[in-house]
Amino acid sequence: MNVAISFLKKPLVIALLLIVALLYLGEGLSPGFASADQILRLLIVASLLGIVAAGQNVVILGGREGIDLSVGGVVSLSAIIAGNVMNGADGGILPAVLACLAAGAFFGLLNGLGVTLLRIPPLVMTLGMLGVLQGLLVVIRNGIPSGRAAPGLSAFVTQPLVLGIPGIIWLWIAVGLFMAFMLSRTVFGHRIYAIGSNEHAAYMAGVPVRRMRIGLFMISGMFAAVAGLCLLGYSGSSFANVGEQYMLSSIIAVVFGGTSLAGGKGGYTGTMAGALLLVILQGILTTVNIDESGRQMVFGATLLLLMLFYGRGRAMRA
Amino acid sequence: MSKLKLNGVSKAYGATLALRRGDLEIAAGEVHVLMGSNGSGKSTLCKIIAGSVRPDGGEILIDGQPVTISGPQSARAQGIGIFYQELSLAGNRSVEENICLAMLPVKARMFIDRAALKARAARYIDLFTGVFGDGFAAETLVGNLRADQRQLVEIMKALASEAPILIFDEPTSALDRAQVDRFFDILRRLKRDGRGIIFISHRMDEITAIGDRVTIIRDGETIKTLNLNETDPAAVIRLMVGGAGDMPASRSSAPAVASFATGAAMTVDKLSGAGFRNVSFEVAKGEILGLGGLHGQGQSAMLRAIFGAGAITSGGIRIGGDHFDARSPRDAIRRGCAYVSGDRGRDGVIVGRPIIENVTPIHYLRDRLMIAHPRSLKEKAMPALAAMHTKFASLLHPINSLSGGNQQKVIIARWLIDRPDVLLLDDPTKGIDLSAKADLFALIRQLAADGLGILLYSSEDAELLGNANRILVFNGGSVTRELTGEDRTRYNLYQAAYEAA
Amino acid sequence: MTPTTTETLSSHAGGLKLWLERYPFLPALIIVVALLALNGAFSPNSLGYRSLTGLLSTYMALIMLAIAQTYVVSAGDIDLSAGATLSLVNVAIVVLMEKWGGGAGAVVGAMLLGVLLGLVCGVINGIVVAALRLQAIVATFATSIFFTGVALYVMPVAGTPAPALFWRTYGGRLLGLPFVFYVLAALALLLFLLSRTRLVTQLLAVGDDQQAAYQTGLPVVLIRIKGYALCGLFSALAAFCLTGDTASGDPLVGGKMTLYSVAAVVLGGSALAGGWTTVVGSLLGALTIGLVNSLVFFMGTPSEWQNFVQGLAILFVLMAGVLAGRRARA
Repeated sequence: MNVAISFLKKPLVIALLLIVALLYLGEGLSPGFASADQILRLLIVASLLGIVAAGQNVVILGGREGIDLSVGGVVSLSAIIAGNVMNGADGGILPAVLACLAAGAFFGLLNGLGVTLLRIPPLVMTLGMLGVLQGLLVVIRNGIPSGRAAPGLSAFVTQPLVLGIPGIIWLWIAVGLFMAFMLSRTVFGHRIYAIGSNEHAAYMAGVPVRRMRIGLFMISGMFAAVAGLCLLGYSGSSFANVGEQYMLSSIIAVVFGGTSLAGGKGGYTGTMAGALLLVILQGILTTVNIDESGRQMVFGATLLLLMLFYGRGRAMRA
Repeated sequence: MSKLKLNGVSKAYGATLALRRGDLEIAAGEVHVLMGSNGSGKSTLCKIIAGSVRPDGGEILIDGQPVTISGPQSARAQGIGIFYQELSLAGNRSVEENICLAMLPVKARMFIDRAALKARAARYIDLFTGVFGDGFAAETLVGNLRADQRQLVEIMKALASEAPILIFDEPTSALDRAQVDRFFDILRRLKRDGRGIIFISHRMDEITAIGDRVTIIRDGETIKTLNLNETDPAAVIRLMVGGAGDMPASRSSAPAVASFATGAAMTVDKLSGAGFRNVSFEVAKGEILGLGGLHGQGQSAMLRAIFGAGAITSGGIRIGGDHFDARSPRDAIRRGCAYVSGDRGRDGVIVGRPIIENVTPIHYLRDRLMIAHPRSLKEKAMPALAAMHTKFASLLHPINSLSGGNQQKVIIARWLIDRPDVLLLDDPTKGIDLSAKADLFALIRQLAADGLGILLYSSEDAELLGNANRILVFNGGSVTRELTGEDRTRYNLYQAAYEAA
Repeated sequence: MTPTTTETLSSHAGGLKLWLERYPFLPALIIVVALLALNGAFSPNSLGYRSLTGLLSTYMALIMLAIAQTYVVSAGDIDLSAGATLSLVNVAIVVLMEKWGGGAGAVVGAMLLGVLLGLVCGVINGIVVAALRLQAIVATFATSIFFTGVALYVMPVAGTPAPALFWRTYGGRLLGLPFVFYVLAALALLLFLLSRTRLVTQLLAVGDDQQAAYQTGLPVVLIRIKGYALCGLFSALAAFCLTGDTASGDPLVGGKMTLYSVAAVVLGGSALAGGWTTVVGSLLGALTIGLVNSLVFFMGTPSEWQNFVQGLAILFVLMAGVLAGRRARA
C-alpha cells in the first residue's frame, strides 16, 4: 500500500497519469484529438519545448538558483541564423547546425562567465542577456533578409522519417537517452547533482564547480540553439521572437517533471513528461471552443493546480 | 509547582530518532543545566519547547497546565524565550531592531515607534556595557559584528522576551571571560526574579558556576537529574558517556614516539594565514600528529588552508619532499592530500544523492574518470565501505537515510579508494556515536600503520590523548606547546589550552 | 555556526561601506546623474523642463512597478505577475470609467476599485506562494497567465480610450506645475511612511533569513502575503500612471514590463535574494532604464541598433548594480 502511494507520488508517474487523463479529456471534448496524427503533431511541438527544457534542466539541477531566462532569445537567434545560413538549400544545413551551436555555446559561455566570475545571480545575468539577444535580433533582421528553411530540415521536422515518425521526435528521444546517460552514468552528470545539492561539499571533494557551471550554461545555450533550428524547420521561416514562449514554459516543464528549482534533485525523464503535459494542455485549450480570455484563465489556474501536486516548499516547522 | 514540565517528549526525523524520550522539570528560580554529548538531543529538546520543532509525542506542562505549543509565536505567547545555538538574527538589521524584532513597538498600529524601540533595546544593551568590545553600537548592522558580539545580541534578544521561562542553548561558546561573567550576573538576577532557566554549555566550570540542577541526556534520552552541589563533574561525565566510561580508542594508548624511519610525510614551515600564524611542524609517515587546544584557535583554519580551501599568506608546505601549495581542494586531492571535516552537513554530505555517489567523487578525480560504470564503481566502493564497517542496505539508497555516524563513515570511505599520502582530520567525530568513533579510530591507526601521515584535530581531548603520537596545542592561532611522550596528559593539555586564553 | 578566529579578525565597517550601507542607492544615483549628463551632452534639449517632465510621466508606471517588485523582493520573493496585474487594473479602470460616464465620480470610483483589484491580485499571489508554498517564480508566472486571461475578458482588444478627464489631468498641470510632480511628491511621502512601518522591517527580516524570522516568532506566512499585497497595490498605482500616459486600455500592456521591473530593482542596488532592498534605488533603477533608452536615441544610434545597444547597456548597469550592492554588504 505504502509502496503504491509513494509510487503514485513520483512526479514522472503523476505527469504520465495526467497525460493519459488529458488525452481522454481532449478526445471527449473534441473527437479526433487523441488520434495518431494529432498525437504526432503534439509530439513534434513537445519535442521543440522538450529540447529547450533539456538545457534549462541541467542549469536548474546545478543549483545556486540556476535558471536560464535567455533560452527564448537564443531560440529566436538560432532560427534566424539557421534561416540565413541555409537559405532554403539543403547543402546549408550542416553549416547552419554548426553556426547555431556555436552561437548557443557563445551566449551560454557569457552567461556562465557572468554567473561564476562576477557572481551575478543567474536570474539577473540571463535576464540581461535576454535583452541583448532581443536587441541583436532586431539588428540582424534589419540587416539581412529573413531566411528560409531548407526542404530537408522541414521534412526532418514535419515528415515521417522512420516508422512513420518524424525525425525531430527521434531527435527528442535521442536527447532523452543522452540526458539519461549523462545524468546517471557519467562523472559529469554525478557532479551536476553534487554541485546542485551541496556546492561546498562538492568543492571540497575536488569538483571544478566554476567550470561545471559555465559548462551547464553552454549546454543550455546549445540545446536552445538546436530547438531554434528545428523551430525554423517547423514553421518554414523565422519571425520575430519566435522563441519567446520558451522562456518560462521550459522552466514549467522542468518543474512539472519533478526537478526542484533549488537544484540537485530531479532528472530529464520527468521533464519530457512535463513538456508533453504542457503541450497537451495547450492543445486541449486551443481545441475547445472558448475565447482567448477563458483559455488563459483555465491555463493559468490549471498550472497552479498541477503545481500543487509537485514539490511544495518545506514547512518552516520541522 | 514546576514552571515547566516535559513528559516523554519524542521526535524523529525520518529514520533518525533525534529525541527518544525527554522528561524534564524546571522549577521557578533555578538554572537547570542540560548536559549531553553532541547529537544527544539537547537542541531538539529545546526547539520543541520553543515551538520551532514539532514533537511526535509526549506532553508539555506550563505551571502545571498541559499546553499545546503550535509554533514559535505560540511559545512566546505562553512565556517561553530562547537563545538559539545557531542564532536567529537578521544580518542586515541593526542591533536594536534585532533585539526587539519579535515585538516591534508600534504607534498608530502600523508605524514603528523608534523612540520606544530605542529605549527598550537600550535596556538590554546597557546590561552589557563595557564588555561588548569595539565596533558595537545600537545602530550597527548585526552582519558587521564579530561572532561574540552577535552572540551577545542573541542573548539580549532572548532577554527582551521577558519570558518567565528562558532557554539558552550554548550561549557562551564565543564569549570571552568578562562577557560570560556579566551574563552570569544577569542570570543570577533572573533567578532571583523566579524565572525558570534552561542552560546548555559544554564547559564544566561554567556549569558548576551557574547551575542548580543538571539533567543528563544521552542518545536522545534524559537519563537522570542531579543537584549540582551534591555531585562532582566526574560523576556527571560518567553518566554522559554511559557504560562505555572511557573512549574505546583510548583503551590502548598510542605509542609515545614510534620509530618513523621512513621519513617525513609532510613538513610545514612557518605557515601563516587567516586565523593562524607561524606554525611549523613535521608529520612522519605513519605518525598521528594531534592538534589540541580550545575550539577555534586556528586548528581548523590551518587544516583547511593546507587543503587549499583557505588563504595562506606566508610559509611553506612540503609533502614527500615536493613543494606543496594547493590552490584549491581539487589541486590538493590530486597531489595526495585528504581532508575530512566534522561539519558533514556543510563540507561532506551530498544530500539526497545515493551512497555510491557520495563514496566516489575523489576516485573520479584521481582516476580522471569520465564514465561512471556502476559495476566497477561498486567493486571499488565496497571494500572502502567495509573497511569502515559502514552499515547500509543498498549503495543506491540516499545518504540521508543513514545515521550521522554512518554518513561520516561514507564520507571517510571516499578517501580510501585511492590512498592519499597525508590525511587531515578536522574534528572528524563531531556528533557521531561511540561505536562509530571506535571504528573510525581503529581505521585511522591502520592507515597510520600503512604509512600515511595523519593530522588529527579533535575537540575531544580523550581522542587526542588516546590516538596521537604527539600533540601540538594551539592557542590564539599559533602553537604554544608540544606534548610528547609522558607529557601527553589531560592536565597538561588543559593547562596549555587555557593559558592566557 | 561555530565562531572561528577568522571571523574575529574581520574588520569593521569602513568609510565607503558605511555610506553604501546607509544609502544603498548611491551607485544607482551616480549612474542616473551620469546618464543625465550624457543625455545633456548629446542633446542639450533633453535636459529641458519639458523633456524631463515627459520622461517622468512616461516612466512613472515602471517606477511604480519597480517599487511594487521591491517589496516582495525584500522578503526574498519575486512577482512575475506584477505586469499582468498592471494590465488587468489598466483595462478594468478604463472600462469602468467609460461605463460610469467618465466624470470625476467615475474616475475616483474606478480608481478605488482598481486599488482593490490590485490588492486582490497581490493577496492571491501571496496565498499561492507563502501559504501553499509553491515556488514563487513558476507560481506567479501561472497567476500572471490567469490575470492576463481576466484582463482579456474585461477588454478583448486594446484600444478603448480612457476618459479625457483622466489623462488630461495626468498629463496636465496643476497650480502651474506638471501633475506628475504631484504624483512624485505623493509617492515620496508614501514611501517615507511605508519605510517607517513595522511591515517593511518585518519583510526585510524575513528576506534576511526566513527560518530565523520564523524562530523569532514572526508570522512569516502572513508577512509574505502582506508583501505581495503591497506589490499588488503599487502595481495598481502603476496602472493608473500608465493609463494616464497612454490614455487607453490594453490587456497585454504590462507583460513586457515585469522583467523590466525586476531589472530596475537590481539596478537600484537591492539584493534579489532579499533582506537588503532600497525603494529609492528601484525608482532610480527604473529611471536608468528610461535614460538609457533616451540616450541611445539621442546618441544617434541607427534605429536597428538601438535595442541592441540598450540591451547591452542595461546588462552592464545590471552587473554594476549587483557588484556595487555586494560591496555594500560585503
